Amino acid sequence: MSTTQEIAAQIREAAKRLLSEGKVDCVIGFAQGTVPMREYPYFAYTPEEAENLTWSRFCCNNLSNFLVRRPKGQADKVAIVAQGCVSRNIVGLIKENQITREQVYILGVASPGMVDRNKVQALFPLKTITEVTEDGDELIVKGLGFEERVPTKKVLRQNCYTCVMRNPVIKDEMIGEESAPTHGGNIDKVAAPWEKLAPEERWAAFQETFKDCIRCYACRDACPLCYCHVCFVDEARPQWCGKTQDEADVATFHILRAFHCAGRCTDCGACESACPVGIKMRKLTSMIEKDIRELYGYTPGMDLESQPPLSVYKPNDPQEFIK
Amino acid sequence: MFARRRFAVLKDLLEYVGIEPGRLHFSWISSAEAAKFQETVLAVTEAVKALGPAKHMIKDIRKVA
Amino acid sequence: MADKILAKDKLGEFLGQLKKDRQVFGPQAVEGKAQWAPLQAEKDLLWEFSNTHLSPKDFFFPQTECMMRFVNQASDEQGMIMQAEPELKQARALVNIRPCDAKAMQVLDLIFVQDQMTDDFYWRDKRDKTLLVGLACNDPCPTCFCTSMNCGPHSSTGLDALLVDLGDKLLLRTLTDKAQALAEGLPEAAKADLAQAAGLKKAAEESITSRVGMDQVNAREVMDLYEAGLWDRVQESCLNCGTCTYCCPTCHCFDIQDEVQGTIGRRVRNWDNCMSWLFTVHGTGHNPRGTKKDRVRQRFMHKFKYIPMKRGGEIGCVGCGRCVQLCPVNIDVRRVVNDMNA
Repeated sequence: MSTTQEIAAQIREAAKRLLSEGKVDCVIGFAQGTVPMREYPYFAYTPEEAENLTWSRFCCNNLSNFLVRRPKGQADKVAIVAQGCVSRNIVGLIKENQITREQVYILGVASPGMVDRNKVQALFPLKTITEVTEDGDELIVKGLGFEERVPTKKVLRQNCYTCVMRNPVIKDEMIGEESAPTHGGNIDKVAAPWEKLAPEERWAAFQETFKDCIRCYACRDACPLCYCHVCFVDEARPQWCGKTQDEADVATFHILRAFHCAGRCTDCGACESACPVGIKMRKLTSMIEKDIRELYGYTPGMDLESQPPLSVYKPNDPQEFIK
Repeated sequence: MFARRRFAVLKDLLEYVGIEPGRLHFSWISSAEAAKFQETVLAVTEAVKALGPAKHMIKDIRKVA
Repeated sequence: MADKILAKDKLGEFLGQLKKDRQVFGPQAVEGKAQWAPLQAEKDLLWEFSNTHLSPKDFFFPQTECMMRFVNQASDEQGMIMQAEPELKQARALVNIRPCDAKAMQVLDLIFVQDQMTDDFYWRDKRDKTLLVGLACNDPCPTCFCTSMNCGPHSSTGLDALLVDLGDKLLLRTLTDKAQALAEGLPEAAKADLAQAAGLKKAAEESITSRVGMDQVNAREVMDLYEAGLWDRVQESCLNCGTCTYCCPTCHCFDIQDEVQGTIGRRVRNWDNCMSWLFTVHGTGHNPRGTKKDRVRQRFMHKFKYIPMKRGGEIGCVGCGRCVQLCPVNIDVRRVVNDMNA
């Protein structure tokens, strides 16, 4: 397998070629962040700007998010760097008529699995990390007064361990080689963690998970599924959801946001990576997608042909709950 | 028919976060089925009464700071 | 007010004195992060940490705050007469607050409490009843840029007292009358102690390598900055989430709503943020900040242009670096201000 540094160099070359040939107006990729383990979405409009593009295990945003939030008239034809989950979200956006296939040139790349910065920080509690670099299968973590090597495998995001498709499902060009499609983990074994709790214990587990929420909505805003112009929590007439920190208001936001993503979530983990207080909202979303697999045999974004499960029906769909 | 799928998912989700199953009921009732409508309303009311006041998703502005 | 010396083995007595008539809070390790919590035991108080994960502004400006209550019923004699929420009952002390956060509270004082007409009771009540005992930073983070923002790692602005960690003992500098009693009976600092504290201050200031320039931001006309091309690039990756504003010690926008339940109701204010589409949308549907660019620009212009213009050069930022660390798309305020300063 190529290293992420080699992939980064190939992304830069491809971007420079596409921009100088005029095939696209803009290449959406990542550039190196100003803090450790946080590369940021970068928009290259010229071959010179393409020099700033990078690729690493610290690319935790879902770039497809930026295909639907771009101001009108700004770079109509874009190229985008997309690993498995991002390509699956592009498929979703095409199916939901938010973008067209022709509008986007996909630079496919196999996902190496992204690093969970909270996990790395947790290894060095209360210490200041100043620099983290990749070295093969290890991370070199430097901080004020220490330097240690950490096996990358131990600090990946949870969703990356159970990824069902690391390679892009659609692409115009592949950067580097394809990898094994999965990371080996079984999502059905870890999804819906509260299912094993007694019904009366579940609310407490749900509350514990979301207790630190400050309602910044970074989870929603980092999510490529949440492209509504006006989110239900921002509706004022009627106001569906209270604005306070009361448990009922916070719970309403998280339950309904998760429900709105039903049958659409690719488990890309962008929500958890964006959260400033480290909430694991996949404990909620993973249950819904497991339910969708069990009820309707559907995994979102795997191909352009199949129909979204909540936009269709079968006469013999399960209905034991209806009296 | 579309709603059936969405309700199936919603029901499972609410039970997953700990809302008692007895608080959520679904039924197909045609406008010609007055008797079924009456029976269903009675059954739902009884089921919810049996559970008592809701414990979750309740915001009481007298209590909260 | 000569500087005093507080031996670390006398810390229990010091905190005990604070606790006599106050509820004491301090940074503690909670789930691996430095977080504010009521101080139960002396050993829980953190001394080696960069700063608390989130700012302490919610001690004075809670994310959700009930302002008053009412009854909406014709038969009620007090019907529709607002009843103010009670004042803070017990005095409080925040121990080991970082100088940048204390400076932020002083900046917010200028906004919440201005004159007879602008005098936010809810803010002032909590400020008046809270003692701030700061802890000087000896090891600033790479994201700190307080020295560029009218502040510094040993800054005492906004504090009632400042502690400087000298190893086995602390230097205590009382700054307000409120804090005088804390220093009673403590030995005066020796010349060597003062020299050590001065050395630590100098070293801490020198270790802050992030520099942000404000001279051109101050010199440039508002419209020149407002219409600058840089906003087109700054807004590109912005998600318009509220992370930066909610982790910020100086962001202070709020939204007031009435909540009604049957015949009773309350008026409540919640944190709001200029990144939100809803923030300025009018009843007519018109939104003067209708695009993401408008909203992103507002945050930086407010902090670095409007506040300095209106508040005599004070900046709406203290350089704590929280937004740099927490922004999901790494919009680095230092980079933005340096672009504004170009």
